[in-house]
Amino acid sequence: MCSALALGCGGRPSSWDTAFTPAKGQDGLAPAYGLTASVAVLDTQLGRVTMLGSPSALRLESHSVALGTDLAAARVSADRKTLFALSRGVQPQRSPDDERPQLLLIDGQSTLQAARSYTLTEPMNQLVLDPQNEWAVVYGSAGVVVNLNELVLVNLAQAGSEALSFKTLLSFGGSPKRFTFTAPLAVPGGQPRRFLIVERDSDLVLIDLSQPDREAVTVPLPSTDAGTTASSAQVVYDADTASIAVRVTGTTSVFMLQLAAPALDGQEYSVVTNLVDVGGLPAAIDFVHNTQGLRLVALVGSSAVLVDPDTATTQAVQMPAAFTGIRRITNELNPAAMPVADGDVALLYGPNITKIAYFNLSGAPGALFRSIEPYEIGVSVKNVIDVPGEAYFDHKILETPNQQFYVLDLHTRESAPMKTSGALTLEVAPDGQRVWAYNPGQPGFASVDFAKLHPVSLIAERQVSQVFDIEGASGQRTAVALHLAQGTTLGIGATVLDALSPSTANARFYSGLELGGLP
Amino acid sequence: MRARFALLPALAGALLLVAATVHAEPLAPHQPYVQGSLGLRASHVADSGYDPFSDSDDLLQVSVGLGATLLRHQRLSLAAVGFWDYGEKSSSARGSLTSLDVHRLSVGPELRYHLLPRLYFFAHALPAFAHSSASIEDGVAQVTRYARHWSYGLDGAAGAAFEVYGARTGSIRPRLWAIAEGGYGYLGSTPLQMSPDPGQGPQRPEAVDLGSLSLAGAYLRVSAAVGF
Repeated sequence: MCSALALGCGGRPSSWDTAFTPAKGQDGLAPAYGLTASVAVLDTQLGRVTMLGSPSALRLESHSVALGTDLAAARVSADRKTLFALSRGVQPQRSPDDERPQLLLIDGQSTLQAARSYTLTEPMNQLVLDPQNEWAVVYGSAGVVVNLNELVLVNLAQAGSEALSFKTLLSFGGSPKRFTFTAPLAVPGGQPRRFLIVERDSDLVLIDLSQPDREAVTVPLPSTDAGTTASSAQVVYDADTASIAVRVTGTTSVFMLQLAAPALDGQEYSVVTNLVDVGGLPAAIDFVHNTQGLRLVALVGSSAVLVDPDTATTQAVQMPAAFTGIRRITNELNPAAMPVADGDVALLYGPNITKIAYFNLSGAPGALFRSIEPYEIGVSVKNVIDVPGEAYFDHKILETPNQQFYVLDLHTRESAPMKTSGALTLEVAPDGQRVWAYNPGQPGFASVDFAKLHPVSLIAERQVSQVFDIEGASGQRTAVALHLAQGTTLGIGATVLDALSPSTANARFYSGLELGGLP
Repeated sequence: MRARFALLPALAGALLLVAATVHAEPLAPHQPYVQGSLGLRASHVADSGYDPFSDSDDLLQVSVGLGATLLRHQRLSLAAVGFWDYGEKSSSARGSLTSLDVHRLSVGPELRYHLLPRLYFFAHALPAFAHSSASIEDGVAQVTRYARHWSYGLDGAAGAAFEVYGARTGSIRPRLWAIAEGGYGYLGSTPLQMSPDPGQGPQRPEAVDLGSLSLAGAYLRVSAAVGF
């Protein structure tokens, strides 16, 4: 009709015909990310992220930020202020104007806008962030010819192409598996400097982050006790002594590395290696201090084996159970962050043991058997979750394999068991005042305030996908229970509550947020 | 382009010549006292607020018109005319079903000039009132959200009407006219704050903000009319 009447009918942008589909947690992409003052919901079909902020109490505002074409990975910085988005861009490139691969930084704290971007030369698939927010690493290119050992180090203190360092790791075979950004290590003969430790199939690579363009040091891993190729299972370090320890699969030995003064001309440092037999396959290792100095603890069966890094002598301490996890809690018990004088305290736990234990290393070396105090809690612990902030830094959340979690006060050593009615996902508020528990796909969720340990159960009017606790523009705390799916219907909705006094009696319901900002 | 402009005087001259040759036919019977019409109105709505409700920029409406001649002076006449246009569109917005119903009422004066007894040209400027009802099926809230608004504007158009059937002389028998007009219909914007009806959906639902909608745009209307 319109053409017959010579009226131009026109069309509409294709975005209106593109249904919203939340990311499914595959390929390194989560449906949504919680930042300090916003929730970022990925809208990969439109190559954008919907940023949800709270301008005032119970209010939610949304706007969209373009992410770049073909999103490969997204991560939140350790301080939860920035969302990093790695995109492949238009591939293959057909025009000089085609979008390039990029790493985009989105401010999730104040502006909720794209803050900076780094243009890459080749599409990459993997993204790793430095806990101190100084570096990012992208790797895993996806071209016709792929260099598995090429890393792009991004110095986040710089802008533009100067921030990028392209680094190919010399390889004895294998590709990067895990990354550890160290604190500044006190390497003899130089200033303390940070390192990036890259774990590969059969070796470790040490990259000096103070001089990322210098050649990296590759250290082969020892073989298994059966003589086959081993791989690293865990890397720990001690900054003060520039010591690194590696738990290696298939061997009863712990691989120790000491960064020492240069041994040859042109070296910045040297690496002295040692193998220490701890008498069994260690389940976990960590560096601790006792009254005699630095020790490496290896949890081997029902023993905690202390290794002196200097002499390689060992001392076994009988544990009341075969703990497989260790977490230093000295700083949590010592809020003044004073230098360790008497010795560390560590929390021992395990997913197959219904006990936890405090390992106090301040006792006399000959009386260490008395230094492990077990507590029967009735459930096993699969993970220990830190509590951020200053108010409850001495609390830990013990995540269990079943429908319970524990709030543990390290000072009083009292634990508060919390039982839930379904599968459990925990979200600790960034202000460290409370924890949210929910079961994705169910309408129920709950808040537990660390001050009173009083759980507040809430039933939303729709199925809850994720729960986040953000700071509003006026300083108020706002809880956002996302509704991304109701049966087969997909969209972006949210129930918004006062996080400090959560109640569904005055909550507000938002939906249709996926429709905002379309051209 | 220059040749096209040269044709216009020639065409006008030819029409005047035809008019002179048929002036013997009485004009008054062909100036309808009352006239009712039924037709279609096709509008081009370019506003982005229309996108959630339509895959294209067109809006088709059924058009019902009524007119009455108030004054006559030789070939000129002045009529009062009014139209009721109704149309609906449905589509989907990112998978959510949407629809838009539009009623438009326009009333005002129309100036007519009979070039021939069976052919007149007209122009009108009609104040217009429109009521739009936009809706979207909100799958997450599991409710239908609405935005219903009145808006006001002006329809300005010019066109021609040709008598396709009717007696040559003064007869009260009905005469059948074919009418075509084109113009621009202005309507103010209305907000698209989509909210469920009271008591529906979740408690304290916030509106879904789809921006604003303006149904202004060029339009064509073709009608068949019966005049007396």
